[in-house]
Amino acid sequence: MRGSLGTPVSRRGLMQGTALGAAAAAGAGALSACAPSAGGGSGKTTLTIMAPENEFSPEFLKSTEEALDITIKRVEVDPTKLTAMLASGTAPDLVRGLGAVETPYIVGRDLALDLDDYFAQSTLLKADDIDPVNDVWRYDGSVQGKGPRYGMAKDYSQDAMFWYNTALFDAAGVDYPSETEPTTYDAWFDMGREITQKDGDTVSVYGLSAGGLGLFLGLVNMTASAGGSLFSEDLATVDFSSPEGQKALTWYLEYARARIGFSPIEPNADGWDWPPYQTGRLAMSWSGYWFGGAIAAEAELAETSRLAPAPTMGGDRLSPCFGATGYWIPKASKHHDEAWQLFEWFMGGDPAKERAAGGWGMPSLLSLRADLPTGTTAQAQALAAVEAEADYFKVLSFSPYVKVEALDAVLNQYLPDAINEDASAGSLADTLNTDMNALLAEGKELVK
Amino acid sequence: MTATLPASRETPPAAPARPRRRRGRAGQRTRTFYLFVGPWIAGFVLLTLFPLGYAFWMSLTNTDGLSPNWSYVGLDNYVKVFQDSQTIASLGRTGIFMLATVPTGVAAGLLMAVLLNRDFRGRAVFRALFYLPAVVPGVAAALTFKIIFDKNAGAANAVVGAAGGEPISWLADPYVRSVLILMMLWGVGGSMIVSLAALQDVPRELLEAAKVDGSGPVHSFFKITLPILSPIIFFQVVTGVIGSLQVFVPSLLLAPVNGAAAVTAVPEGNYFFMVHVYAEYFAKSHFGYASALLWVLFLFVLLVTGVVFKIGNRAVFYGGVDPTEGKQG
Repeated sequence: MRGSLGTPVSRRGLMQGTALGAAAAAGAGALSACAPSAGGGSGKTTLTIMAPENEFSPEFLKSTEEALDITIKRVEVDPTKLTAMLASGTAPDLVRGLGAVETPYIVGRDLALDLDDYFAQSTLLKADDIDPVNDVWRYDGSVQGKGPRYGMAKDYSQDAMFWYNTALFDAAGVDYPSETEPTTYDAWFDMGREITQKDGDTVSVYGLSAGGLGLFLGLVNMTASAGGSLFSEDLATVDFSSPEGQKALTWYLEYARARIGFSPIEPNADGWDWPPYQTGRLAMSWSGYWFGGAIAAEAELAETSRLAPAPTMGGDRLSPCFGATGYWIPKASKHHDEAWQLFEWFMGGDPAKERAAGGWGMPSLLSLRADLPTGTTAQAQALAAVEAEADYFKVLSFSPYVKVEALDAVLNQYLPDAINEDASAGSLADTLNTDMNALLAEGKELVK
Repeated sequence: MTATLPASRETPPAAPARPRRRRGRAGQRTRTFYLFVGPWIAGFVLLTLFPLGYAFWMSLTNTDGLSPNWSYVGLDNYVKVFQDSQTIASLGRTGIFMLATVPTGVAAGLLMAVLLNRDFRGRAVFRALFYLPAVVPGVAAALTFKIIFDKNAGAANAVVGAAGGEPISWLADPYVRSVLILMMLWGVGGSMIVSLAALQDVPRELLEAAKVDGSGPVHSFFKITLPILSPIIFFQVVTGVIGSLQVFVPSLLLAPVNGAAAVTAVPEGNYFFMVHVYAEYFAKSHFGYASALLWVLFLFVLLVTGVVFKIGNRAVFYGGVDPTEGKQG
């Protein structure tokens, strides 16, 4: 390759430089990631995987190594370390990622291995058994949901659904949301406001937490459920000024100003929804099926919690997935076949069955749904709700030009002032469009 | 026939051998020196100088760390530093944070050290108690502060409520910076222990002589104790300034979102320069621009440290010598 000033520079040269620069910024820890992944002393292949310990515990690693006759070295999930490893030519062999928002980004940069041939030959992961949600791991260069598969979800949730605690509804005398029909965002907001318990400015019960999996994704979902799209067709710009985008922004500003749930001006000291939900300080959490894994461990909550369909803002009913957390194999891995072997076993073998039985997410294989737990009221109801909701799943394409964190950073920069100073959705939209589109344009330059 | 010279004539004079032995000893000492400092020098070159150089090179590009389609942008990233309002604002915020925490921290540490240097019952217990917060891990301290300053259930608002006030959203703007400053000052025991150690070196006879001459405790403190402590205070100021200009982790720990995404949710009040750098690197993937920001910070730290040294040269009594005496003479 060649830099724009005409100096020939190899890609690896640039990447190595990048790695060292990242190390300068983030500390020498990044360099420790550069250990070679090939060749264990025993003659077995050593795979380096970037995965959290709760998914690859030492005991689980040991049993996996025995089952597959390989050696596995686990490194913690860390974007800094991943950048350094990819740059220094010591790419991990399996990497954890969020398929819904990362697939176009990693494919656009030619980092991920096309797994279609492997899937075609797999006996564990058969095409007709793979849940359609896994389409978020497909990208054809312009549309997400089409083209080759680059990864697969270990499990998933339809993240626009929400959990509610009937005990807090009863205490406030508010009717429950329907378990089968979607509520409107306006009705959802009203429910949240009626349930919120305040003494002056002190809140003892928040009615509704609309944080979801992040501010930007929440707005993407609302805009889509209003019948529009925040991203343009070529995924190179956003438009908050469209009627649907305005509707979404207006709703969020009203929600935040009403202080019926957490927002940049009403921060959640616990950092996520579970602690307040667990302790009866939050009535509705914008979380998908996975939240039920935590609820199941609380006997009282498991009796009073229900999962409701994704709310709608007036457009066609839809219920997207914003995570689909799973794994992908870097193109630069030196052990594609062995990495696939591990991937296939983790996604379709015994580990997948164990995960399904845990109830922390919907299994990626339709055949494993039978293994989902139904022992508590909440588990049984949630399973029925997600099975009915599956028909409304739709892939919402994410842009290959930026990371979702970049767009969240812009929102967090402007939202507090917009909420506090009663800014209109229109003026906020103009600011967001300007800053986000600048980021997208910069990113596009790098993905030509 | 071969003439044989007496052995004594063949033996070189003893005198020239001495420098060789000296050179040998000197050489050995040099080798030992490099053997000991070698690992540090290697670490410094490989893990500091080399990455710094690469970071500079990267600051001349628009790379995102992953894409192959990068290009050189010359000094554009450095020009952007001075046009980016977020960068300038975060630098200003960092300066204010430094001014708020360094003098206060050093002064509070010194005051506590002076108080705990007096003879009274239970002195050791108080010394341990005051030092204790300094050894509490930062994560634990941040969690504690988040609980104390929680709007709805925190102790801080219980006090505000008891005084008849409305609850304050401490962890949001504009109050969150005061929580962070308080959290930093909570660890002032570290500064206290350094000052306390330095106080042990103040010659007792000097203080007694001053007392005999009619000097009061306050006068003695400012005229004798403080000048003797000045090198230690100066050390604390310099390290405090450098540390506060690079403040980063505490901001993330007080953010309302857990995990890596916290950097995108840091309230504006705590959005300091290093938080901005991190967000540019790993949220926005602006590796080139973020590298330029790091270099600007590096130069800024050098500049500020230089100014501090300039002031220190006029105020610090090294070896008990008044720094202004030489110039007066």
